[in-house]
Amino acid sequence: MTTAAFSGSTAAEHGRSSATVRTADWFRRQRWWLLRVIALPFQLLLFALVAFLLVRLIPGDPVLTVTGNQATDEQYARIQEQMGLSGSLSDQLVAYFAQLLRFDLGTSLLTQRPLLEEFGQRLPATLELATMALVVSLLLVGVAAYFAVIRPVPVLSAAIRGYARAAGAIPDFAVGVLGIFLFYATLHLSPAPLGRLSPLLSTAPTVTGLPFVDTLLAGDPARTTDMLWHLALPVGVLVIAHSAVVLKLLVGQLDDELQKPSTLFRVSTGASHATVALSVFRRSLPAAVTMAGTMFGYLVGGAVIVEALFAFGGMGQYLTEALAGADLTAMQGFLVAIAAVSLVVFLVVDIVTMLLDPRRRPGAQTEA
Amino acid sequence: MTATTEPTATTAPTTTPQATVTTKTTDARPRRRVIWWRLVPAAVLAVLALIGPFITPYPATRVSGTSGTAPGAEYWFGTDSTGLDVFSQTLAATQLNVFIAVSVVLLATLIGVVLGLAIGMNESRPGPGGLTARGTGRIVDFVQAVPSVIVGLVLVSFFGASIGTIVVAIAVILAPIQVRLVRAEVLRVRGEAYLDAARMAGTSELVLTLRHVLPNSVRPAVANMSVLFGVSVILTAALGFLGAGLPPPTAEWGAMIARGATDAAVGRWWPGAFPALALVLAVAAVSLAFSAFPRAGSRR
Repeated sequence: MTTAAFSGSTAAEHGRSSATVRTADWFRRQRWWLLRVIALPFQLLLFALVAFLLVRLIPGDPVLTVTGNQATDEQYARIQEQMGLSGSLSDQLVAYFAQLLRFDLGTSLLTQRPLLEEFGQRLPATLELATMALVVSLLLVGVAAYFAVIRPVPVLSAAIRGYARAAGAIPDFAVGVLGIFLFYATLHLSPAPLGRLSPLLSTAPTVTGLPFVDTLLAGDPARTTDMLWHLALPVGVLVIAHSAVVLKLLVGQLDDELQKPSTLFRVSTGASHATVALSVFRRSLPAAVTMAGTMFGYLVGGAVIVEALFAFGGMGQYLTEALAGADLTAMQGFLVAIAAVSLVVFLVVDIVTMLLDPRRRPGAQTEA
Repeated sequence: MTATTEPTATTAPTTTPQATVTTKTTDARPRRRVIWWRLVPAAVLAVLALIGPFITPYPATRVSGTSGTAPGAEYWFGTDSTGLDVFSQTLAATQLNVFIAVSVVLLATLIGVVLGLAIGMNESRPGPGGLTARGTGRIVDFVQAVPSVIVGLVLVSFFGASIGTIVVAIAVILAPIQVRLVRAEVLRVRGEAYLDAARMAGTSELVLTLRHVLPNSVRPAVANMSVLFGVSVILTAALGFLGAGLPPPTAEWGAMIARGATDAAVGRWWPGAFPALALVLAVAAVSLAFSAFPRAGSRR
């Protein structure tokens, strides 16, 4: 069933020098991740092309959508130029890609600032929030799955499985509103949902652009605890709303793996409980890692919502403003930026799963 | 999960072969009958969606009392910060939210079946047909890579916030899930002996696909419709929450919850809680209704 086809074509290289053979060999062995990395820029360009075409598919005149009907010819031409909609379609496409290759996403129609600058200031904070939620969530999912499957605790196990079954049906925004009502308005445990820091504290100097990392680097314990206190509820909301997806998959995988002959073999050899548990977990991981990548996507979307809900500024606020102001250039740029982030995440996920399970590498087809 | 087709010992080529869904040991005995009571909540939901806007005690889009009244005999669910009756709004919104979700599920499944069949039947074929199929497959994967809320937001911002746009946007976002499910099934079905038999009998590829492959590969996608319903209800509300929904006076659960957020911060729980509850109940009702039918692979 599992014949890794790495030893396919060594016979063909008799005549060549050993150095060439060695390089070719090295490449063949590393091909699985090299090809995946090389594919990334092309995937990005494809995405950029989709974003480009989408704007051209907008019914009516998108320039008029932005300017309204009262625009003078001069204004109209300026906006058209800024949206990259002047000239023939091929000219537009060339200009668009030339711009992208210079890492220029265009200029916001609302604020008249380069989009890369706008996103550069806001996106890291959003991604940091999503990453924090991802880390907390993965830790909890691991523990929860252990107590649900490997060492079932009577009531807890049923509760965990019940929660996992709600995967995809927990609206993050509703959980957020509930959290604010419960922990801020009623129990007064959580600070006002008005930003990452208490109003009297100044923000740490920007070093990395990641608010929490910057606060840590500034080394002020009072400020760090204050930010943690402010982040607890938003991160908790994201974790509660989005962990179920990965938990459901991991529990299912663990259930399956527990029944497999390989587990029974380990048990029969007299291996310790920890060794068996580790083996079962390791075999369940690839699928869960893939799902964790998908969950990160949900978390980024959720982070945008949570930012809007807890007045964190950031992408959430920026997006709602761009939406209200019909800033199509900003939306287009944002789609490309988020696509880039997602594709990088999926690249990492692919490489991690291929590291965990070599059968998933291209060229290692399992022949049925 | 992976598309490794197991060499199952296929029984005689009947017209509806057993789906080789990995049945867990826990529910080994398949249930055959429809459990009718499980359809009741969904039926109630359907009725409310149909007549909801006409039986509201107060107009859903006009001020009907002092703002911020707590739930009581006069205003069952209280009033929100603008003085709108929360019960009337929640009830009236049922129609819109359920209509959007149902349309999304149908459209996404339709796209999923068409693309899934086309990709699954053609992807291993040489020449331009196979290339197009593989290319489409990659694009479908890409759509799934980007956070759905954000794609929805961008699409709605481009094409304007109308019911049609929202339905199409969310259907496009969710269709890849269905495409993958159908494709995986097509790949499984494609090797079955009854297809070779039909080919030898001179059936054309198109007829073969529609008559034999289609009925045998839509099950998982159809079963997944309940999940999709939940996701699309939530996505619609999420768009409404972020301000990408239908314009303000329209009663919509997501927009109601968004407005309820400011109320919740000052201790008024009802403007946000009731639409959220309605949303959760709607998802649960549809999920329950789907569980009334026998599981895939347990028929016959």
